[in-house]
Amino acid sequence: MITVTINRKKIELEKPVTILKAAGMAGIEIPTLCNHEMLEAYGGCRLCLVEIEKMPRLQTSCTQYVTDGMVVWTETERVVEARKAMLEFLLINHALDCPYCDKAGECDLQDMVAKYGPTTGRFAEGKRRHPESFEDPIIVRNMERCISCTRCVRMCSKVQGAYAISMVNRSNKTFVEPFSGGKYDCEYCGNCLTVCPVGAIMSRMHRHAYRPWLIEKEVDTVCSFCGVGCSMVLQVRGNSIVRAVPKKGAGSNKGLLCNRGRFGYDYVGSSGRLDSPMIKRDGKFQRASWSEAFTFIADRLKKIKDENGGSSIAGIASGRCTNEDGYVFQKFMRAVLGSNNIDSVASFGYAQAQRFFEGIFGQGVTANSMRGIPNSDGVFVVGGDPTAVNPVLGLQIRAASGKGVPVVAAGYMPGLMIFATSRLIPRPFTETALLSALVTELRDIKGISGKGPFDILINDIPSVSLGEAEEVCGIPSEDMRSAVDALSRMTNPSIVIGRDILQQPEGQACLLLLAALISLLNSRIYLLSELPNEQGLVDMGCLPDMLPGGRHLSVESFRRRYEEFFGVDIPSNPGMGIMEMIEAAHDKRIKALHVMGEDLVYNMPDSAYVKAALSKLDFLVVHDIFMTETAQLADVVIPSLSWAEKEGSYTNLERKMQLVRKAVEGKGMEEWRAVSEISKLLGFDMDYKSSVDIMTEIANVSPLHKDIAYADMAGGECMWPYKGEPLRHGMSLEGIEMPDKGSLLKKPEKDRIYIGIDKPLFHFENLSRNSAALSSIAPEPYMNVGKALADSLSLAGGDSVSVSTGTGSLKLSVQVDPDVPENSIMVPDNFGDKGAYTIMKWKMNSAIKAPVADATGVTIKKIKRAAEEVAV
Amino acid sequence: MEKFLLRNIENPNSTDINEYIKAGGYKALLKAVEMKPADIVSEVRKSGLRGRGGAGFPTGMKWAFASADPKKPRYMLCNADEGEPGTFKDRPILEKNPHLLIEGMIISGYALEAEYGYIYIRGEYPAAKDILDAAIKQAHEKGYLGDNVSGKGVRFHLYVHQGAGAYICGEETALIESLEGKRGQPRIKPPFPVNEGFLSKPTIINNVETLANIPYIIEIGADAYAEIGSPDCPGPKLYSVSGHVKRPGVYELPMGITLREIIYDHCGGIRGDKKLKAVIPGGISTPILPADAIDCPMDFVNMPKHGSMLGSGAVMVFDETVDLVKVCYRAIKFFEHESCGKCTPCREGVGWMRAILERISGGSGTAEDIDLLIEVSNNITGKTFCPLGDGAAMVVQNFVKNFRSEFEEKIH
Repeated sequence: MITVTINRKKIELEKPVTILKAAGMAGIEIPTLCNHEMLEAYGGCRLCLVEIEKMPRLQTSCTQYVTDGMVVWTETERVVEARKAMLEFLLINHALDCPYCDKAGECDLQDMVAKYGPTTGRFAEGKRRHPESFEDPIIVRNMERCISCTRCVRMCSKVQGAYAISMVNRSNKTFVEPFSGGKYDCEYCGNCLTVCPVGAIMSRMHRHAYRPWLIEKEVDTVCSFCGVGCSMVLQVRGNSIVRAVPKKGAGSNKGLLCNRGRFGYDYVGSSGRLDSPMIKRDGKFQRASWSEAFTFIADRLKKIKDENGGSSIAGIASGRCTNEDGYVFQKFMRAVLGSNNIDSVASFGYAQAQRFFEGIFGQGVTANSMRGIPNSDGVFVVGGDPTAVNPVLGLQIRAASGKGVPVVAAGYMPGLMIFATSRLIPRPFTETALLSALVTELRDIKGISGKGPFDILINDIPSVSLGEAEEVCGIPSEDMRSAVDALSRMTNPSIVIGRDILQQPEGQACLLLLAALISLLNSRIYLLSELPNEQGLVDMGCLPDMLPGGRHLSVESFRRRYEEFFGVDIPSNPGMGIMEMIEAAHDKRIKALHVMGEDLVYNMPDSAYVKAALSKLDFLVVHDIFMTETAQLADVVIPSLSWAEKEGSYTNLERKMQLVRKAVEGKGMEEWRAVSEISKLLGFDMDYKSSVDIMTEIANVSPLHKDIAYADMAGGECMWPYKGEPLRHGMSLEGIEMPDKGSLLKKPEKDRIYIGIDKPLFHFENLSRNSAALSSIAPEPYMNVGKALADSLSLAGGDSVSVSTGTGSLKLSVQVDPDVPENSIMVPDNFGDKGAYTIMKWKMNSAIKAPVADATGVTIKKIKRAAEEVAV
Repeated sequence: MEKFLLRNIENPNSTDINEYIKAGGYKALLKAVEMKPADIVSEVRKSGLRGRGGAGFPTGMKWAFASADPKKPRYMLCNADEGEPGTFKDRPILEKNPHLLIEGMIISGYALEAEYGYIYIRGEYPAAKDILDAAIKQAHEKGYLGDNVSGKGVRFHLYVHQGAGAYICGEETALIESLEGKRGQPRIKPPFPVNEGFLSKPTIINNVETLANIPYIIEIGADAYAEIGSPDCPGPKLYSVSGHVKRPGVYELPMGITLREIIYDHCGGIRGDKKLKAVIPGGISTPILPADAIDCPMDFVNMPKHGSMLGSGAVMVFDETVDLVKVCYRAIKFFEHESCGKCTPCREGVGWMRAILERISGGSGTAEDIDLLIEVSNNITGKTFCPLGDGAAMVVQNFVKNFRSEFEEKIH
């Protein structure tokens, strides 16, 4: 026990902390500018100087640790004078343009000078001049205000791991500059904005738009740009969001945000938002009243159901919608329309992977607290770049790496490359070779402990030597060997899995190999989740074969429970998956499609095919916030509300349920409310007054969500089963096919260029096209290409190319990245008609009912400069 | 006194390893590798050697701290970032007697069980860098460096790293940051480099001259070494004398010799036999002394009793013609330029002092300016992150204390 006395107050501590912390615990405030709870100590601003008995010099309380018997004084004349002197020093080269500065009102320096500082200055010399920099589209730098506390630099390098900015020059000429010069060219997380105590680094998005004291409302909510579900605060003035900021210390993100969350909200106020229901008559959309639209929909659906049966109608839900939307929608499909044809894009990977691992290891096995990553002793990442798909989860991996934890990165993940201790980049679609070699080696090293059914299965996996794998996947044996060494030393590792691992011909085998790896290493599983409520879609039964609460339709007792609750029978046969629906629409096997917030044309592979399929429908209803390409094809479009305009809940990839709160009024209608209205017209009464009523119903009927209420979620730690039934164990190995060695060692076709989907950090599906901020950071579609392929095509960074397949052609700018797998190009799917999905052919993998990239001949032609065609 | 540090430097081929060996070089190394590492550490401790970089910290004690930390590997660093204005004492060793430093580093590396050594040399010494590189190559060829030093199975590799011109990188933790490829700024202490230094491993940093003393201690033994110079601060010392003396240069003299002896006996007195006005005895950071205060023994123990410090032993002599306000201004301009920018008082305060001094020196100062100058300097003193800012404040305070009238004369 350590006893320290600060200003006569005795403080007892278990372990030594800094004086600043100890004082904080005792409620004694010591001013500081360079210290920040998210950053390591710096000791630069010298504002927190205190007097310690028996020490001649004043000491900085942020760096000095308490020792037993230490006596500290924080308000002696000497300390007060020193503090005043530091503030006077800080002001001599500070712009003092508070009346004009956006930070005024929430500026640490301003507050401190008002509280402790000198009232007049004695500095008679000229101040440092440094013109404000507007070279960046998002961030404005005013280095006349900078006080060189380096919080931004420490945040950028030590926490974000982006290493984008640095202090440059010395002395009073020191300032912060991006390495890239004027434009930041960084990850645009904006976490530097969070920590800047003054107005030196600020967002341009709300420049001069408000004053901190003019914020009328601060709404605690959850970000909607990926499955991490960061806690954030929307600051509102009038009916518009002026700023999105992280909530100090809250949520899984603990004060961090990524660029999408921080800057992407501006689509909410976009002028392109739908503001009225639209009915298409004679090929043209006409504005309609709500009741007109609902009646129109109900009549058409009723007619189609009566003539062709419920199974001729299908519904597609969206991971952007809330749990409440999803629950009501699946209820509508099943109970009102009598169809199990309900699915979403979660079935492109997330839902399948989860189902597979839960089948083996038990329910909830893929839902782990993100904080577990930096606390594990090793990380294995495969199938996607976590720092782009789930940026704040990616930071946990970077944090682990920063602590010296080995990180094995398998696949193309630019955001982790400098943090990975092993970088294994296989040729396109040869992950099976890599994974089976790792399993073979680790099986030998670790041995199979038990005789459980899965252990037997692991033993049956064909042995693949490192040499055989190298032959196929192209990774040098010694690199795989060192990865095996690293993996074999891990005792509580984390395995992070992205959806790319499934979207290949041997996706099923990849899952089995990963399950073997998970079992051999005894690791925690994290599934990357692109959508804010992807887990919620699964939990709410927006799947063709699952009911809310994660049980299969075929479980008689479970189905009965819902039938009793709904008061109607539910069809017992599983419905169609999303890919089947599109095929069925194409073949006219389904007549009507009800789409809740998904832009199928651009968020599904092969846009032309999807478009053709949707055009063949007798009836298409689309709920959306924008007139998307899919909405254009609809017969009726119902404007819905964005995440910032409604109440509800999201379930993140940790299976944590969090509240989505209304910040501003929208002109649309919640999906659940619109669906309930249609339902009423179809003779099924859904009398929900608010989202609370729906959650109450969910808590009543779903065993996973038993007794969960919004009040529980507000605490931020509501992971299902919060009060629910215990989770089921796994070990259902039914339907797992053992791949043969030949299929594990399939070589990529020689001289063929593969297209991979790049998941850029700066975009979110095709929605982010409506964010001016995100579009200004990344306005252009591009293709990433490896050095060898670029050289063979005479391409250099910045070149324009035309990429053509049998399906279409795209104009893209070239970015050369040596880490792109051999013979492949990575193209983002976020630019609407300029996205990868418009030129990619896909086929169904019947085993996992997910789309798989199909062989397509790719031709890359250089534009502008010498237009020589390179055909492959 | 017999020269040791500057032994051999009159020889035009002094940098050649064969010449160095001919003059008795590398004998100490051969003797040292027959000793136990711990015995070398206690020998250095017994010798009373103090660090020659300026602070005068007992070298043996520093070594003992490092030896006590079990973490491995350890690194042996040589601070050759000789940047203190007025100081050029290490340069003759680096340029004329590089093998003495290399021998000292190998012995130190062996004593401290460090297998890697780095010489961090200031970027403004390009010739010395080339000379050291060539000397290291020769030492490798002779088997004094490498995986099997002198056939004794001792491992020691030595590299030269060039600084990029920052004064602050002479501060040991800033030097380590710079060596690691980072921005040269001092680190929070503790942890001290002896426990967590280069690459977070135990690291011993010694000055060039300090390391050059090691072979001598081994050669003549700690007891004989302790007999040289002042009792509490023994050994030979290099004094770099500049300014208005007849024979400026680097002098190897025993510790504790008086300033007067250096100026008048060894450097031939004041140029043109003018009157002496002031002396800065140990580099620009040490307090300036008036002409009547030069009977002080030049060592780490006695100088503080006489109102100054030994520092690096860089003696700057000013005769009666010198405008000391201008000297003060020029010194502070240097500190402003070299302030690393990390902490507030140094970054902002030193520039402020420069601005006031510029005014006074240029004749547009006001009566209040001298007091303001002192207040600003007081606001810096004791509040900075590292000694750089303190040093600057001290310069101002001592110039004003000893020569206030010169400042007042500038104000009309």
